[in-house]
Amino acid sequence: MSPTPETLEVELESLHPAAFGWALACSGGDRGAAEDALQTSYLKVLDGRARFDGRASFRTWFFSVVRRTAAEQKRRNALARLWPLAWLGPRADGRPDPAAALAHSEATGRLVAALAALPKRQREVLHLVFYQDLSIAEAAEVVGISLGTARTHYERGKAALKKRLDGERE
Amino acid sequence: MIERDDNELRERFAGLRREDRAAVPAFRRSLAAVRVRPNRRGLGFAVAAMLAVVALVVMLTVRTRHRSPVDIAGVRVRAPTDFLLKLPGAELLRTVPRLGRVSLNRRAL
Repeated sequence: MSPTPETLEVELESLHPAAFGWALACSGGDRGAAEDALQTSYLKVLDGRARFDGRASFRTWFFSVVRRTAAEQKRRNALARLWPLAWLGPRADGRPDPAAALAHSEATGRLVAALAALPKRQREVLHLVFYQDLSIAEAAEVVGISLGTARTHYERGKAALKKRLDGERE
Repeated sequence: MIERDDNELRERFAGLRREDRAAVPAFRRSLAAVRVRPNRRGLGFAVAAMLAVVALVVMLTVRTRHRSPVDIAGVRVRAPTDFLLKLPGAELLRTVPRLGRVSLNRRAL
């Protein structure tokens, strides 16, 4: 049985703060892009374009919707920049926003900068495990990769992140 | 050692989460923004349909312009009453008679 729109709204509301954090991570820390990706994801869920089939947890499934939507937006923005005079518009190329790092405290800003230097998959897996408290298996489901690959990204990402953070401390 | 390192990372990420949570837009506001959004999907379909029509018109125009003219010399019209024009002995006018051979088609007579 598919959930009613009211049930979906309640589920989405309970996930909203965590989903916003994930949308920020998928949009390279750009708040505007994150809000846009999250709103589009809500729209997809509420108008039935994205249907929860119950195979995974609602959170894991919704996070994968947010991830896909943010990626679609990045592609759309990249295409939009090809139009004449597109450079006059706001910059939204999916790269980590320098202003986002400034908005954080010094310690958190260092973490954001170190994360931004990692490959995308490693960054995603680390965010899902450490920030969202998901297991590596759940992170693999969100990103759409196998458990073994997710483990590799987790270990390599963790090592690279520590190296960067320790390097800055010295 | 590894566990201590993991805990340190967890604490750092917890700090990031706290700071992000302080700036999360209200859920109701996000939902309200979703409901007043223009339907981009419909606009996309309209643009795609328009492009398809333009492409079709251009294709038809190009094809009409490059159509090869009809060679009238090669056209042969056969009217149903053509058989009335066939006269007995008409082949004598089109062939050269040979010596010692009857050229007349007796059946046609």
